[in-house]
Amino acid sequence: MSPRLFLHVFTIQSRKLMSYRADFWVSSVFAFLTELAIMYFLWRAIFAESGMDRIGGFSFEALILYYVAAILLGKLIRGNDRDVTVSTDIYEGSLTRYLLYPSSYFKFKYAEHVGTMIPSAIQLVIFGVLYLSLSGAPADVHVTPATVGMTVISVAVSNLLHFALLYPIQLVAFWADNVWSLNVMFRFACMMLGGLLLPLSMFPEWARPVLNVLPFRYLFDVPAMTLLGRHSVAEWMTGVAASLLWIAALGIATRLIWNRGTKSYTGVGI
Amino acid sequence: MIEVAKLSKSFFVHRKDPGFWGSVRSLVSREKVEKAAVNAVEFNVGEGEIVGLVGANGAGKTTLVKMLAGIVHPTSGDATVLGFRPWERDNRFRRQIALIMGQKAQLWWDLPAEDCFLLLREIYQIPESQFRASLDYLSGVLDVRDQLNIQIRRLSLGERMKMELMASLLHTPRVVFLDEPTIGLDLTAQRAIRDFILDYRVEHRPAMILTSHYMEDIERLCERILIMREGEIVYDGALRDVVERYARTKIVTAHLRKTGENVCADEQLAELGDVLECNEHLVRIKVPRTGVADAAATVLGRFPVADLSIEDEDVGSIVERIMQSKERMP
Repeated sequence: MSPRLFLHVFTIQSRKLMSYRADFWVSSVFAFLTELAIMYFLWRAIFAESGMDRIGGFSFEALILYYVAAILLGKLIRGNDRDVTVSTDIYEGSLTRYLLYPSSYFKFKYAEHVGTMIPSAIQLVIFGVLYLSLSGAPADVHVTPATVGMTVISVAVSNLLHFALLYPIQLVAFWADNVWSLNVMFRFACMMLGGLLLPLSMFPEWARPVLNVLPFRYLFDVPAMTLLGRHSVAEWMTGVAASLLWIAALGIATRLIWNRGTKSYTGVGI
Repeated sequence: MIEVAKLSKSFFVHRKDPGFWGSVRSLVSREKVEKAAVNAVEFNVGEGEIVGLVGANGAGKTTLVKMLAGIVHPTSGDATVLGFRPWERDNRFRRQIALIMGQKAQLWWDLPAEDCFLLLREIYQIPESQFRASLDYLSGVLDVRDQLNIQIRRLSLGERMKMELMASLLHTPRVVFLDEPTIGLDLTAQRAIRDFILDYRVEHRPAMILTSHYMEDIERLCERILIMREGEIVYDGALRDVVERYARTKIVTAHLRKTGENVCADEQLAELGDVLECNEHLVRIKVPRTGVADAAATVLGRFPVADLSIEDEDVGSIVERIMQSKERMP
């Protein structure tokens, strides 16, 4: 796929999403504030009840800032995952047109996926700056130009990793008519094991080795902790390298699934 | 340009009993049934040729077209299009073909047509000057210049089909598969699409395969047809030969002078053949081909004929008979 085509698909997708004004503002303001409010009141109650100053290495203020970062970066990394329509394309036969094009379907869909990041990036800037200017950074959080730079790279890699994980799941539609339940399980696994519901440092000791070998922690936990200055450069580099290894492995698996799947594709009807 | 050798495709489909318990049972076990959609078909199509592919629903036409366009893998056999195996989906192959499906929108619904075309320009890497020339030619011939900036989903069916045609031909493909391109269109739009296809053929000389349930499409556009029945090609030859080889009857039509005579009461009329129409002005009889000369002579001798014509059986009826017949056509 040529860079010009990638850019073209990317801009069409972002233009399309931003043309739905109501959806843009509802998803930015309402969804973000609701998620944050739940975490705020839940953790305030936990901190008050336990009487502790720090839980899992986080002060209350640092924890809320972690959630702000994880939710906003998470939107950027996941893009609009409901718009990854690979399974629908297979089920409804729309894949046919992409099979005719002299272009990679995977790259086409990834360009669309990246296009959904633009509205999320706008939301990240608005709410991130707004939150930091209203509350200020807590003492145990160190956002610096270096952590921001490392986070930008982390987000780009995590975005590709998220897509590389989601794509083969959607390809199951070649054999199963409905992959909705798999999508729901995948979303839940990402949120739980990726650090969107809970910082991974709060998981019990025995669970950490398991979390370290799974790809999910590189999705949200690593970028958020990097931004907040809680990961060293070495930890960050390990995270990026592990993500790239996972992307390569998933890429091979995806190619095998795609080759088998397209052999059984009928394009709806015979 | 298209060479097909013993190409076959079978599908496995799940059979489910109807009703609630059928659905419950299918959670545990489902019956898998093999269905042969295309069975060892063989034919070639040359440059500038438009070949009509006709057959009843489920005869395997669309599956055959999908295999030749590289969408569906065959179960066995071989085919090459422009020297490529379609299902290997080489980009050099995909740059030179187009598939237009009348029943399946292929453009992006939320985008205006021109945005879709710009995206296709990038996909097919069409040079700017060639793109502008093609866009200008196609939008002019199809008369849709004023609709280029309207979202696809807001266009009428006819306009949308014209846009689909444009989108598929912008890269000037050398092989074009047209799967029911006029389905659902009104007569004016059907005629416009047919005229356009003929113009396009003269201009670019592509190999085309056309499937359609409208015999008028086939008669107007194709000199050669393939008739498919239950996955097999039962006739491959010139359209006019279908009439010569398989027409069993002819229609004798006599326009009568006004004499007041009741010709319809004549007993010999029914002996000539099937009387399709009879009144004081006109008699139409379907007669066996072997007896057409006698029938014409009898009509001329017995009735006050002002004008007489002898026509072949309607080609659509012949093709339909071949499609439904159980025997293999010679």
